[in-house]
Amino acid sequence: MLARVANNLFWMGRYLERTEHIARFMNVNYFSSLDAPSEVSQSRNFVLKSILFLVSGEIAEDKNVTDEKKVLYDVGLNPDNDFSILNCFKCARENASGSRDLLSTELFESINSLHHYITNYPSEHFVANGLDEFTSAVSRGIILLRGKIIETLIHDEAFAIISLGMNLERASQVIRIINTKYVDAKSSKTEFHNSFTNSFEWTTLLKSIQSFDMMKRYYKKAPTSADTLDFLILNPSCPRSVMSSLNSAAKYIKILTKNEKRDSSSFLINKIRCEYSYTSIDEIEGRFADFIEEIIDKITEISIRIEEEFFSY
Amino acid sequence: MTEYKELPIFSSYDLNDRFYDEIFTKDKKVRSIYETLFNLFSEYKIDDFQLLNEKAKASFLNQGITFQVYGAKEIKEKVFPFDLFPRIISADEWEHLEAGALQRSVALNLFLKDLYHEKLIIKEGVVPIELINSSANYLKQMEGLKPPGGIYNHISGTDLIKHNDGNYYVLEDNIRCPSGVSYVISNRAALKRTLYGAFNHYPAYTVDNYAENLLTIMQSVKPTGVDNPTCVVITPGIYNSAYYEHSYLAKAMGIELVEGRDLFTENDFVYMKTIYGPKKVDVIYRRIDDAFIDPMEFNPDSVLGVKGLFKSYKKGNVCLVNAPGTGVADDKAIYTYMPQIIKYYLGEDPILNNVHTYHCSNSKELDYVLNNIANLVIKPVDESGGYGISIGNKLSKEEIEKVKEVIKENPRKYIAQPIMSLSTHATYIDEEQNFEPRHIDLRTFTLLGQDKQFVLKGGLTRVALKRGNLIVNSSQGGGSKDTWVLKK
Repeated sequence: MLARVANNLFWMGRYLERTEHIARFMNVNYFSSLDAPSEVSQSRNFVLKSILFLVSGEIAEDKNVTDEKKVLYDVGLNPDNDFSILNCFKCARENASGSRDLLSTELFESINSLHHYITNYPSEHFVANGLDEFTSAVSRGIILLRGKIIETLIHDEAFAIISLGMNLERASQVIRIINTKYVDAKSSKTEFHNSFTNSFEWTTLLKSIQSFDMMKRYYKKAPTSADTLDFLILNPSCPRSVMSSLNSAAKYIKILTKNEKRDSSSFLINKIRCEYSYTSIDEIEGRFADFIEEIIDKITEISIRIEEEFFSY
Repeated sequence: MTEYKELPIFSSYDLNDRFYDEIFTKDKKVRSIYETLFNLFSEYKIDDFQLLNEKAKASFLNQGITFQVYGAKEIKEKVFPFDLFPRIISADEWEHLEAGALQRSVALNLFLKDLYHEKLIIKEGVVPIELINSSANYLKQMEGLKPPGGIYNHISGTDLIKHNDGNYYVLEDNIRCPSGVSYVISNRAALKRTLYGAFNHYPAYTVDNYAENLLTIMQSVKPTGVDNPTCVVITPGIYNSAYYEHSYLAKAMGIELVEGRDLFTENDFVYMKTIYGPKKVDVIYRRIDDAFIDPMEFNPDSVLGVKGLFKSYKKGNVCLVNAPGTGVADDKAIYTYMPQIIKYYLGEDPILNNVHTYHCSNSKELDYVLNNIANLVIKPVDESGGYGISIGNKLSKEEIEKVKEVIKENPRKYIAQPIMSLSTHATYIDEEQNFEPRHIDLRTFTLLGQDKQFVLKGGLTRVALKRGNLIVNSSQGGGSKDTWVLKK
């Protein structure tokens, strides 16, 4: 496989995954904030900041979130914003185009029809009434694409690279979402005056990652900070946890790796995976902010290593 | 039989005596080959047909068979207009076309070989040397070079029309990078999906075998000493208007689609950059023009090509499909000598007609042209895509004077031909919700390899969608039709 095409496939996977996370995060946070318990967390200002923080990584100033419609437009459909859903998906599609000869017709057609759906969605309707409809349709569309990737491609190197991209992006998005909600939880004091033990924000967090029901099923109690973080970061049986993404990444890098040298991506992924396998949540809780930083750095490091090993000749 | 005009979807179909209509005879009878299809279509209501038309469009959009229109603010994607009424060619008619197209391609290949070696045809005075000397597409670098398998124009596209005398005429040969074959295949796919009922009644040849034949042809011209050649398609990239075709062909052949930046040369061999390092490439189907394939040899500003590619080619380490420098043989001035060229190399009379051509480089013919512009089509010899063409009977007096001036300035640059009347075919017009006659042409695709020849049984029927328009290029608002070649 061509190195350039591999690079296209990797980023196609990443952008597909990113599109879905942004769409879902927007949906869950916006709608759960409508009846949020505290005045702060219920304010428009608060949820808009939270959404902007996820996509841009910067805490927005108050004056920049006064116009709700503008913020929604910026994150959803603004073609001039690199991080908008519209642009993320556009990048996914461009990368797909660049490797089109390796993709199945079925997969490419589905990417195209979702692209046409997104670009033709009327923005006035989106900011007024269409938030739920649009973001749900985008999430559904990406799930369909994921299905086509699994069901219609040969499970060879191309498939492994797409999956690698998706899993690394998933790990990265999940940790970013955790970070966003962590920042939210800190800044919104709930009525219990304990943002860290029984917070509304933890529920929203779990829902943003589609893990709320399963988390309750696993721990059989309402979410607390420790359990939530354990579930979303370290628990390998939660399909969206960082641990699970790393495990999948290890599986796919194996398909690509001919021999595992010490400087290979495979070596790095497995090393990081082993470290988290033997980390317990109690060790993290005291230094949570640092821990998030660390994970983000490590995922970036993996991504760079993959790039060096496979894409740059 | 009912008068066709009584059918709602044919109510505005006006026959014009000046043109050959593919569906109806001059006395308004349906030609026998179209009878079944016509009866089938006449059962449709306008609404049904409108719906089918939408369905076909959506199918193209989702398959991504689109081209981009650059507007002031944004880039819009549009589908190439596709018409649901297929063009049918009988077995006998096709036999003639196929033999003629093959004959031309073979003769052109011999002509190119001669031009870049002994130049016998010029020495013997059959083709004037000025035509070669003044041609921008003649590549000195190709002189004395022996392409693998002795093939120059592996892929040829022959553009034909049917004149009002009911005969086919060749309008031009395309032997640089003829495009359009993917539309032949996707038109068929779309038509099968929308009008599957019609196929039961006609024994048409498949067009899906093009890619496998192309791959066989590519493998047949592998460099000496290579057992299992690695073949690739090279494209300018995803923003090229023919990118769909490039990716389709690569996928259909199961080979890599590369861009210039994916390849490099070392010790005069060509390699592609894979995830596991370099891999040698043996045969390249290049969809990049001559000038851009190698910045070291040709246009130094090219970022699309590969440095050192031509040197590797010259050494016989890689094969380029089509060979560089083929453009010298398909320009419009050479076209006019095709009957002589065929006779010279093959000792045969041309099977397909040439349109009579006046050379403005010849002073006698120049006089005739200047005096008869109103009845002629004036074409620059070295433009493609329908640009720079003036059609005499569409020009005002002032415009004719202007054209005269332009020709006089540089007579070598122009040729003139009688205004040929392209045949018309029933074409669904969206705005009218009705079938109307529109002008069509036909491009056939011929493949030449080492000891292998193939003509695709089908072709690209292009249709000029604007009423009265004679230029069918997609860049000038043309659409296309599925083309059925019937079995005997």
